[in-house]
Amino acid sequence: MALHRVSFRLRQTVTHVRSLHTSGGSQQQEAVAAESEPEPLSIFRTQENDPACQSEKHFGQYYTLPSAHVRTVFPHGLPMRYKQQVKTFNEACMMVRPPALEVISSLKKTDNSKPAVRYLFYGLKGSGKTMTLCHTIHFCYTQGWLVLHVPDAHLWVKNCKELLPSSFNSSRYDQPLQATEWLRNFRITNEPFLSKIKTKQRYVWTKRESTEEGSTLGELVDQGITRVKTSSDVVGAVMKELRLQSGQPESDFRLAVAVDGVNALWGRSTIRKMNNTAVDPEELTLVYNLRKLMKNDWTGGAIITTLAQTGAVYTSKYSYLPKELLGEKGFDSMDPFIPVSVPNYSEKEFESCYLYYMDRHWLQYPHSRTEDGKKELIFLSNRNPSMLERICGFH
Amino acid sequence: MVCPSLFSIVTVGENMAAHTSRAFLSLGRINVPGLGLHKSVSRVTYSTGLSTDSSKATTGSPQKGGKKVLSKKYKREPGDPRTELMPVDQDWTAVYPVATPFIPDAIPLPVRMGCPVKGGAPPEKKGNLELIKIPNFLHLTPAAIKKHCEALKPFCTEWPSALDTDAKCDEHFPIKVETKSYVSAGPSIRNPAARIVHLSVKLSSLNLNDQARKKMLKLVGDRYCKDTDILTITADRCPLKQQNYDYAMYLLTVLYHESWKIEAWEAEKTVADMEEYSWEGSLSQENILDVLVRMKEAGEGEGEEVREQLLGRREVQEYKDSVTRLKNEGENESTMLQYKEAVKKVLKL
Repeated sequence: MALHRVSFRLRQTVTHVRSLHTSGGSQQQEAVAAESEPEPLSIFRTQENDPACQSEKHFGQYYTLPSAHVRTVFPHGLPMRYKQQVKTFNEACMMVRPPALEVISSLKKTDNSKPAVRYLFYGLKGSGKTMTLCHTIHFCYTQGWLVLHVPDAHLWVKNCKELLPSSFNSSRYDQPLQATEWLRNFRITNEPFLSKIKTKQRYVWTKRESTEEGSTLGELVDQGITRVKTSSDVVGAVMKELRLQSGQPESDFRLAVAVDGVNALWGRSTIRKMNNTAVDPEELTLVYNLRKLMKNDWTGGAIITTLAQTGAVYTSKYSYLPKELLGEKGFDSMDPFIPVSVPNYSEKEFESCYLYYMDRHWLQYPHSRTEDGKKELIFLSNRNPSMLERICGFH
Repeated sequence: MVCPSLFSIVTVGENMAAHTSRAFLSLGRINVPGLGLHKSVSRVTYSTGLSTDSSKATTGSPQKGGKKVLSKKYKREPGDPRTELMPVDQDWTAVYPVATPFIPDAIPLPVRMGCPVKGGAPPEKKGNLELIKIPNFLHLTPAAIKKHCEALKPFCTEWPSALDTDAKCDEHFPIKVETKSYVSAGPSIRNPAARIVHLSVKLSSLNLNDQARKKMLKLVGDRYCKDTDILTITADRCPLKQQNYDYAMYLLTVLYHESWKIEAWEAEKTVADMEEYSWEGSLSQENILDVLVRMKEAGEGEGEEVREQLLGRREVQEYKDSVTRLKNEGENESTMLQYKEAVKKVLKL
């Protein structure tokens, strides 16, 4: 509450100063204007845009992602509503929250020679797990890691328009459309690495096409995008190459595997075979290869995952705990992992969010500017980030 | 002359025309030729309290006027409802000695029941059919129960003085049998619900070892309550209570003896059949040892010794406790937090 009043007072001084400035005030007033300008912004915003330099004192504050980063790092990773918000506000601002910083600090200390550590974000629906994951991915990107981001593993186990039997292993099934889309986005994110990493193995696609040993990753990815039929196998090959090569002394990149909705890998799928029996996720090439990546038998990187009930099939709407969503098999495969809880906004974070929306003129009605209006927002949303965002659209 | 008849039929005689609308059980005067005139003429006996002279009148109007005058003279004012006259310290058991429908004027409570009018309250008790329809227990107040107990006391025997605590009762009489008997007024005194017998016993009072207890729990299923450790067997398949009681005792005996027997196929018990999670030999143990070996925590060494050494470490023991707790107790914030701390310590983060 005190923050709110302070910001109001400062805002008044700013407007006052601005009016003097436009009327051609004296140099003294200009100096005052320059001094007090950045102050009202710093209550809920921070100028520290590099995730590596953020710390506890930036908790609750918004930092801006450069738009170039947003285009490259997140061609497919951000939540839908957040993308709309970015378009509306013309800037991508993300809040610095404790769970993200906890994982980022652990990532800073990762040892390249040790096996990859697995992190799992879990929390209630709409509490900010995907956004926290995006924050961590942004950190990995700024540090120069290779980011293998699967935006929603649920998309691979449902609504499959084309299901082909795999040429590599006859008991598995390919999903060419999903695989090509993912390869395209992967190419956008990791342009610089594509020419540097070389394959260690020869891959034969058909009688006439093959990728020789020593060719760049870029060629492999292009092969997958152009020849759609082999794209799922290409995805598998890419994952295998990266897994084998990361952590080796001769390769200079670190691999960050980020999967949103990891519980889809061990759940059920809604895809049906021709004889109307359900397909086990294990029988899908994409899922099979991703599961191999999830195991911590490779070194030189980290695995950051999120649970998601939102797109999940055959799960209860209210389940959010790891064992419930992962199931026995999933838990045993992910074990040992570090579960990181992502709670609803704390009071300070709520204040920050409220001030940000006010600043962006997202809260239109004068009632929302009052104390009562704020209490109403707290009551209606229970400080749940996604609920708050939806409700503020109507206030 | 006419004879009185016992049928309340519409009369025939024209001089009875005035009566037809009023008399209910009045005697019909039928001209029955042939019957003797010996019986004395007894006048109207059942009709509503009008004087017998009224039958002589031929026209209706003076009678109607007379009725009005009569009802005005004799009309009683309804007095205060009984609730106003009741003293506060009255004996309620005298007001409601038996099960009686709801009488609004005899119950001094401002009860309301029914669908409320819009913006208003539910209807009051006066003339409220809803309150009359439902059963009430106003005849079973604590005072009434006390009186019942006092009346039953001469028929009871003393409680044995040695059994003064619950623990002593459980120790000497571990098996508790519950039955219900029913008394009602009706054409038959039998009630089929009286045959049900509930037999409850605490499993700790039975002599069972670990394997026998697990087998017993699997045989019994839902009938066992984990919180109170009580096994309840309900028997209702026989028509008589005594037969059901014998059957319940038989079931208990059979369960006990069967749970002590070990069959050959019980050796094929899989991990999915286990009642609780045991960490030794589980995937979790494999995983953690794998990870630690790859992290080269144990230093150089051969397979078995390395594993033994790793298992003996404190962090691994903590990890084992946290995983067991998570799997057995289910997930909540505290178990998750404990697991997180244990994993961080084991992986040295």
